[in-house]
Amino acid sequence: MSTSPEFHYRLPHRSGGWRPGSHPGSSLGGGQEFVSHVSIFDRPDPRRLDLRASLREVRGDWLVRVHRQRVSVPVYVVADVSASMSFGLPKSKLHVLADFVTALGHSAFRVGDALGMLAFDARERPDLFVPALLSRGVGEVMASMLTSCKGAAGGSDGLEQAVLHLAGRHGLIFLASDFHWPLDRLGGVLDLLAHCYVVPLVVWDPAEIQPPRHDGLMPLRDVESGRRSTQWLRPVTRERWHEAVERRRAELNRIFSARGIRPFFISGEFAGEALSNYFLEATA
Amino acid sequence: MSEALTFEHPWLLVLLPLALLPLLRGRRDTLAFPSVAWLPRDRVGQLVGWLWPLFAILAIASSILALAQPGRPQSFVQRTGTGAEILVLLDRSRSMDDRMLPANWREIDPSSLLYHTGRGRKKADVARELLSQFVAQRPDDRFSLMYFSNRPLSVVSFTQHDAVMQAGISAGVTGRGLADTEVGRALVAGIAEFDQRAYSGSRIMLLVSDGGAHLDEETRERIRIGLARNRIALYWMYLRSYNSATLDTTDDRWANAPELALHRFFQSLPTPYRAYQAEVPEDLSRAVAEVGRQQNLPLDFLEQIPRRDYSRHFIAVAAFACAMLLLYRSMLLRSWQ
Repeated sequence: MSTSPEFHYRLPHRSGGWRPGSHPGSSLGGGQEFVSHVSIFDRPDPRRLDLRASLREVRGDWLVRVHRQRVSVPVYVVADVSASMSFGLPKSKLHVLADFVTALGHSAFRVGDALGMLAFDARERPDLFVPALLSRGVGEVMASMLTSCKGAAGGSDGLEQAVLHLAGRHGLIFLASDFHWPLDRLGGVLDLLAHCYVVPLVVWDPAEIQPPRHDGLMPLRDVESGRRSTQWLRPVTRERWHEAVERRRAELNRIFSARGIRPFFISGEFAGEALSNYFLEATA
Repeated sequence: MSEALTFEHPWLLVLLPLALLPLLRGRRDTLAFPSVAWLPRDRVGQLVGWLWPLFAILAIASSILALAQPGRPQSFVQRTGTGAEILVLLDRSRSMDDRMLPANWREIDPSSLLYHTGRGRKKADVARELLSQFVAQRPDDRFSLMYFSNRPLSVVSFTQHDAVMQAGISAGVTGRGLADTEVGRALVAGIAEFDQRAYSGSRIMLLVSDGGAHLDEETRERIRIGLARNRIALYWMYLRSYNSATLDTTDDRWANAPELALHRFFQSLPTPYRAYQAEVPEDLSRAVAEVGRQQNLPLDFLEQIPRRDYSRHFIAVAAFACAMLLLYRSMLLRSWQ
């Protein structure tokens, strides 16, 4: 086995939560980040008694240092398992997603975050639900569930149903999909997840964003709807193909950036380093 | 044209539902794609996507139709002509390859006549040419052509189609003539041509020959009875060679000539008989014209219009459709690479 491509992630903003972890938190407790001094009567913790501050104190109170504790957050993967996700050459998009989930399992366990999964196609898929677990092997379990599942046609209905479980909670959410469904209700979904830090993973296969090199006729069949369409591949259509991809990319960017989110595009192979960079840029 | 379309093997039409096979859309011939909707709409591709099942249906359907052999059935048409039924008996013996005399042979010095006889045109050629003119001038007549030498050789049976007749006449150019002139057998065979035919107008047997023959008694009898039974008028176009008898001679020298014997026998027939003696090409054309003037009686006959087969057209359509399918197939991308 190759070394597991872990990646580094930190939430850029403070998050609530009582469980000690590695993300900046808003709760007080054992941490490195100094907040203030309070009277020992307000916070009876003699271990943190600050003698120098107490001597400087005019009223003669005994002061205790108060620190902010770093917290762990639940991490959820909201995975699109619709039929279109099983497309891809040589690796299907679901397999790419499974790679990502495996890496996430290791990374989350390393920083002490609980990892869970919700899946959807046209509806929520309760059979693929994994509650947030602090377990070393949960990433592999989720990956094997993803690679062995069969999806139906996808849609934003399923996404809405799945996301309702997470509405109003804190945490980190990876929304992994190829977004091959109407985007008009995506905004509403993101509003539901306003409390979380959402990372949209746009998983596209190189074959769909890059037309084949040779000219010719391509009879295409939609894996979800079964609709057929024949493309005569020639320089004109190739150009329009690229334009269509760019348009989609721009549309996604527009919807996400309106809510201060930057999507992360995966095409072909999941690269842990790129996702680390993504988080470093976000926290910087 | 009013006849309905019929099929030679109608049971093959049972296979016609096979033509709907291309409408069953197999998944094998397509490439899976996650979302067709986000690709640009390509009108040409769309059109091709519609056209190829059409061509496939067309190819299968027209192949099946071609196998069933559609066609207009054989039919008979009642026709009325004003001509005659003319059977041409053309001598194909070696002597017909001789030259005819020039028109002014009577004025030529007899000592150099032999030279001039080698200068004229071949008798067979002149006869053929005039016959073909004759046929062309008389579109209403029904002609039959028979060559004879040592045995009769039926070339064209009775037809009104001039082209067939002309082709038969020009076919006589091939090769050289044969050795013998069996007029008796030719006449019997010619008469037999008329045997099984309904009498629908005047009948002529036109014997074009340059020599006669002594006929035995039995043959004479058969000819006499045959001509009478079938009511055939006999015209003899005698192409006289240099140094042979004229038909009207009374000279004892020619008393035993076969031409004269034949002429006398013909004269003794109860049926109409006319002899035209042609020495030079002009005589021959005059004789032909005279025959043309004589026979102009109304003539009823049934013409058989043969079956017309249309499967050829269907095969052409199928071949075209298959060619288009091959073109489509050659342009197809089979994989994403």
